[in-house]
Order: sequence, then structure tokens, then C-alpha cells
Amino acid sequence: MSNSDIVTELGKIVGDKYVSEEPEIQFLYHYDFITAEPEGKCDIAIMPETAEEVQEIVKVGNKYKIPIVPWVSGINFGSIATPRKGGIVVDLRRMNRVLEVNEDDMYAVVEGGITWADFVGYLNKHHPGFRTGVTFSPPGTGVVPSCLAYGMWDLGMIGGTGAEFTNGLEVVLPTGELIKAGSCSLTDYWYGRQPLPDISGLFIGWEGTTGIVTKAAIKIWPKLPYRTDFLPFTTRMEDGVPMMLKLSKVGLGIVDLALLNLGWAQSLQCFDQKSVAIDPISLGLPDFIGLITTEAYTEEQHKAQCDAIKKICTEYNIEPLTADIQVNNFPKSMRGIMGHIFPATGGQTPIQFWGCWNFARGGGGEWIGCYNTTRNIIKYYHLSRDICLKYGKSPQYYCRIMFGGHYCVTRTNVNFNKNDPEDISKTRQILKEIHDAVQQLEGTIMYKPPKWVVQHYKDKTLPETRNLIERIKRFLDPNNIMNPGQGIGDD
Amino acid sequence: MVKEEKIKFVDGKGITRIETVPDQQKLDRHKNLEYYKDILYQCGKCGTCRTGYQEDGWFRVCPSGEFGKFEAYYLGGKNLLSWAVTSNRLDWTKNLVNIFYQCSVCLACTQQCQIPEIHYYAGEWLMAMREKAVQKGLGPMPEQKKYSEHVALEYNPYMEMHKNRTNWLSSNIKQSPDSKLAYFVGCTTSYREQNIAINTAEILNSLNIDFKLLQDEHCCGSPVYMTGQTEEAKQIAKANIDIFKDEGIEKIITSCAGCYRMLKETYPKKFELEHGIEILHLPEFILEKINNNEVKFNNNLNMKITYHDPCHIGRHMGIYEPPREVLKNIPGIELIEMPRNKQNAWCCGSGGGVRSAFKELSSFAANERIEEAKETAAEAIVSCCPFCLNQFKANIKDNGINTYDLSELINKAIKR
Repeated sequence: MSNSDIVTELGKIVGDKYVSEEPEIQFLYHYDFITAEPEGKCDIAIMPETAEEVQEIVKVGNKYKIPIVPWVSGINFGSIATPRKGGIVVDLRRMNRVLEVNEDDMYAVVEGGITWADFVGYLNKHHPGFRTGVTFSPPGTGVVPSCLAYGMWDLGMIGGTGAEFTNGLEVVLPTGELIKAGSCSLTDYWYGRQPLPDISGLFIGWEGTTGIVTKAAIKIWPKLPYRTDFLPFTTRMEDGVPMMLKLSKVGLGIVDLALLNLGWAQSLQCFDQKSVAIDPISLGLPDFIGLITTEAYTEEQHKAQCDAIKKICTEYNIEPLTADIQVNNFPKSMRGIMGHIFPATGGQTPIQFWGCWNFARGGGGEWIGCYNTTRNIIKYYHLSRDICLKYGKSPQYYCRIMFGGHYCVTRTNVNFNKNDPEDISKTRQILKEIHDAVQQLEGTIMYKPPKWVVQHYKDKTLPETRNLIERIKRFLDPNNIMNPGQGIGDD
Repeated sequence: MVKEEKIKFVDGKGITRIETVPDQQKLDRHKNLEYYKDILYQCGKCGTCRTGYQEDGWFRVCPSGEFGKFEAYYLGGKNLLSWAVTSNRLDWTKNLVNIFYQCSVCLACTQQCQIPEIHYYAGEWLMAMREKAVQKGLGPMPEQKKYSEHVALEYNPYMEMHKNRTNWLSSNIKQSPDSKLAYFVGCTTSYREQNIAINTAEILNSLNIDFKLLQDEHCCGSPVYMTGQTEEAKQIAKANIDIFKDEGIEKIITSCAGCYRMLKETYPKKFELEHGIEILHLPEFILEKINNNEVKFNNNLNMKITYHDPCHIGRHMGIYEPPREVLKNIPGIELIEMPRNKQNAWCCGSGGGVRSAFKELSSFAANERIEEAKETAAEAIVSCCPFCLNQFKANIKDNGINTYDLSELINKAIKR
């Protein structure tokens, strides 16, 4: 069976316009075009419009044992949507609607291909009293992949990861059946995964290797009228992190708690990497910037919260100026996209944070991003920083404290020129060294791991657990067609 | 929420300026693909170019992408395909060229990107890709080649006879043969939307403006240039400049957005043919007269309208306010904006050679805009481009909404 025959068969499912094997169409699905990971190969690209069409596509995949790779924007810093074994890339972006918003139970049911721009735009227009948590990811990236890959959102302190915001899923299994997980599997409501066996877990954290999610229900939150974003600066991580950890345990309406180093802040300011000091610490520049977002229902409550936050910061000798003051302290020409983030400066999320992949003005960026114990924040930073400096790269570090301080995400980003094979090679070396170094910190587990990292985790995982994961994968995907070559369940 | 003004418009240039980025590569415009190839890979295909960046509703902005759907049809895809062919990752093929021509080059996409090099210059390499396609014999599209050949023979792309170009002109239009001010009518107006020509000429007469038509007006070259046939368009430009000089022209008024852009910017900046002639689009000219109290509106039009920003005077040239100011001065006009307006205006789908070569895309874009206009509850869509007007007329069904050129409303309001 040739590619063209398969394209013809697929064309009967979605219409000829929405399936292609043309090299120019395939090319853009070969990989993410951001990371230093190797390219894959897309043989056929297809864009279904309904879950039923997705089912039929998956059945074709099984019939001919062709890999199926689910895709929204394809941009993620682990390159986990890259088709490692060729096959059919299923671009879900025609499935981009908000299907339902339940304001009483506060959730929205969305299709699998919806982007942040679509989702936020819809809520802003039709449900302005509510908001979703949003990740620092460009507007054109996918909401549901962020749920499934544990993305961290700007309501992370109250809601945890994108996975924890997920109330339920509709999934096309690798064998083509359509299932629902959560309360939606037996009622018309998508209010939660409880009290049923939590089979959503079969699709969260599996890197698209156990099915294609065609719908998801996502918790939304009331948009409280009072909000302040504080951006405290101080000299070192060691000075600022204890303050942030204290804040993570005090409530005070804090919905988001993040911290970054100066390198990350400078990429937010849209500097060219060549313009800034690679090692700001050696120049006595502040290397800790915190982000504290607090919200409240009444003015009095908000004032009390803000006063309490300021008091705590002062105990650590840090003055928490608000984001609008901090941003406006910079001349307009040096604000970059910092002004795009906070309502107080006229911004909103999502933002196009292109410093993530273009700080080196080379179109390339990748990180070692890990879920972690909060005990490792400072150590993680220093280990990764030292390695970046060793190679003459500016370390860009970012940490989000999550879900009431129960855990955190620690990430160090490395920028490079994706047109320069030497720079790509150097970056791969840096990333490997960072990964190896931070693995010494107990509790560090990479999320959205690229393939070269996955084997390490498989080796570390309790054998019985690993065995179970592999058995589940084989059970769900007997022909191993679903995003093969990726994910922890892959043989 | 107070919206910070992050984007400013640069006078005389539609390409807007991101002021908040400290390090921006300053490049030249109007260059070839080779010149831009070292920045094409900065794109991360992030999809920001698909929607109105941080606008209310995050509306979709790209007709080419919304119609074609695959990544290749959005700017991110085109950036990386451009990178691919310039770095030998992909070959030049008919398919590739089709993708690039299936686009009106409206620049709504570039408007949204926050990477300055892409924001300012992607429009340049989108055109450079077309130029290269023509050099390689893969472009333009057959339909575009056909009308370009007709321009060479009969000085218009409409397969019409040149001798009929001024058929719209009646004896009661008064011209001043010695005037240094010319009204450059344009092909679409001359052959398809003659009402615009009649109204414009009548307006000039009503305001006692001495003007003339060119004795021999030829196509400005826009449909040829926009389809990548740069050399042919340059020859057209040279011939036109000779005509202007022979007739002693010092100032030109246009009623077509495409002509305006060609004469004002493309001739001197892309073709490097300085003509020294002041070019004004009709709303600019009229606004000047209004501000000098030289215009008397005698009639109340009593109409709710919405204004459509033509791409070639809007994003390409930065003219957003003059038409609106003129409309606000017309008695009885209530202007209701569409959500996608000014720099975020949705393209009508007729430019860039799309209307001739990609009819389904063209209709899709037009209908999207018409529906958006209807949702404002306005009685009419008003624009100041005959190409937009003709497109709307061709696609409005069941008398759902009316459409006018600005010249029609001005003349109606002025006439005694």
C-alpha cells in the first residue's frame, strides 16, 4: 500500500483538502522547529474536524500499522510530538471550539485542538466574569496538550498543573474506540474525575502515546475584581527563595508564585543575548526576580493581603514593588514583552514569549524542565547555571511554585542558533550535562522529556511500576501505532 | 483594564513599529530573498500570527491560513518554508509556489508577530518569494500571467480595450488642461467601478479644484508587481513616470488603494524611480479641504455604516484615520466599527492576485468580512478602494447589506 493509496483512503474521511503528502506540507510537521532535538519525519499530514473522523483515521493506522502522531502546535520543549517513526501526523486545529461553559460548576468543555488564543478570546467575549489559568506559552499553542503534559499555568498556586485543572476527557483510543473519562462518562456534566476510577490518568503524562484527546473539560475560575502582581528583586536566589517558600504557605489569595533569574528576565525584555552579561552575578547585578500574584473579592481583603505580603517580604529585606512600577521603571524601549503579561500594564496572557527560543536570535531554544521538590530550587539553579557558563551560554532559569507549595517546576533554558550545526551540537551537550547534573538531586523528574531522557527514567523507575506502564501501553495500543518512539511506555 | 499602547503607527508607512524591543536588527525593505535569508529561521511557528495579539476576543486574522488550514498557509509556515528553500532543505516546486501565491499579502499576520524582524520584514520576503518564483519560471499563476500580458498590450488587466478606458467620462465633468494636478483613475475604477470615477470627478468639480485626467492613463502596475513580476512592473512604472513628466504633473489624487500604494511607495522605494510627485489618496485630499473649511456638506445622509480598511492604504501605508475623519464630518453618518478594524482589518480577499487565481479563497475571505459587517447592524460597508468595493458587490447575497465607496457618500453629501 503506497502513501498515495493511504492518502486517498484518508481523503474519504476528511475530504481531499485536509490530507496531504506534499513535501511542503509534510515539512512543517517533521519537528517543532525550536528545540535541538533531531528531526522526525511526517509522511502524511491530516486535519480532522470531528472525533468520529479521528476514530476513522486511527482505524486506518491500525489497518496498515502506520504510526499516528497527535499534534496541535507541535511546539513543546521536549519535542514530544515529533514523529520519530514517520507516519500520519493528526493536526487537531480544526477542532478548536469551546463547546460548553458551565458557570455554576466553573468548567469549560473544549475540543482537543483549541489554542490559548481561541480559549481566552472566547471566555473574554462570552464569559467575562471567568478566566482560565494560562501558561507562558504563545497564543497559538494548544490548551489540551498543556493539560496532558502537566503544563504550569498562572493559577498554579491554587490549581496545580494543567492536569489538575482537567475534569474529564473524551479520547479516541489507539484501537479506534471513543471513550470518556470522568463524570462525563455517565452524566451530562463534566465537573470532575471523581468519584470514578481515574482513567484520565491513562492519558495524562503519556506524551500522546495512549490515545488522541478530542475533548477536555477544564476548570475555570472567577475573575476576582482585585489583583496585584508584585515583582520583588533581590541579589541572589538564596536571598529570595526562602521568602517565596514562606509565601507559598500563607494563603493570602496568592494564585501564582514564580521566580526567575536575570537571564530569563532579560529574554522577557527582548534583549539580544549578545547585549547582556552572560554572568550578571559577577557584575553585582540582581539575579532574583520574584512574581507574586494575589487576588481578592473585596478591596479591604485585597489591601490586607497585599499588606501582609509586603510585611513578609520585608522580613527577608526585600521590597516588593508592584509590576507596573517595576515595568515602568524601565524606559519603554527596554520593556520588551514584560508589559504584555500584567493587567496593570495593559497586558494579558497568553503572550508571545519569543525569548524562550530566540534570545540568541537564532530561533532555537530548549530546556531541562523538571518537576521537583521545593528543596531543590536553589541547588538546581546553581548546577544548571554553572554548566551554562562553562559553555559561554546565558542561563535562563525559571521556577514556579505550585499548588499551595506542594511541589515546584524548575527549568533552565538554553538558546541557540538553529541554523548553526555547531551551536546545536553544543546545546545538546549542555542540555545533557544539565540533565545529568540535576539528576543527582533527589526528586528531580523531567516533564515533557525528549527520548534521550526517557530511557534514564525507565531505568530508574521501580521495575514493577515500569512493567505496569509498559503493559498498559501494550494493552491500549497493541500495534504500537500511537506516537511510537516517544513516551515512557514505549518499548 | 487600561490597554497600553504597545504599537504605534509610522506615518506614511503601514508597517507599524514595535517600540518596546531594545535590540532590533535594522534591515532594508524591498530587498531580495538572499538578503533576508539569515533571519528567516527566527520563526518558531508559534502561531501568534494567526490571531489579533492581545486584542479583545483574540480574533482570527489570516484569510490564507483560515482557508488553507495547514500550517503552510499561515505566516509561520511560510517563514519556515522560505528558510527551507533558501537553505536547501526543500526544493522549489509548483506546490511550494502555489502555497505562497494563495495569499493576498494583506500583512495581517506580520502585524501580530512580536519578533521585530518578522513583524517589519516578513512582508518583504513574502514578496521576495514571489519574485524568485517568477525568476524560476514557476510563477505567477496562469491566470495572473494572462492578465499581466494584457496589461502589456492594452494597459489594463481586465481584458478590456484601452480605447474604452475613459468611457465613464461625461461632458459635464470639467477638466483644466493646464492643471498640474491629475486624478489617476486606475483600471478597476475605469472599467468596473465607474461610479467611483464619476463621483470623484464631480467632487473635485464641486470643490472647484482644477484637475485633469492623464491624456493616456495606463495601469499603475500593481496587479503585475503583487504577483512577483517585478521587472515587468518596473517597466510599467518607468513608462508611467514619463507620462507624468510629459504632462507636467506635480500632484496626483488616487481613488484606488492599490494605485496609491504603487505610486507613492513602490515606484520610489522598490523600483528606485523617484518621481517627486505628491500622491494623495482621496480621503487624505478631502480631509485637508475639510480642515481648511473648504467643504460644505449640504445633505444629511442618515446612514449607519461600517468602514472597511483596504489593506493597501491600511497596513501597507498607515492610512486609517483620514477616511474615518471624513466620514465623521458627513452629516448623518453613524460609524460603527467592526471588531477587526484598522491594523487588524480582515482582508476582503481580492488583492495579491488571489481573486483571479484562487477564487474559493477569495470568496471565503469576502464572505467572512461581509458577515462581520452585517453583525454590526450597519446598513452598508464603506471602503475607499474599488477592488474592495467590487469584491463586496460580487459576494453580497440577498441584499444583506449595501456597499459604497467613500467617494459616493462624499458626493451625495456635497451635491446640491
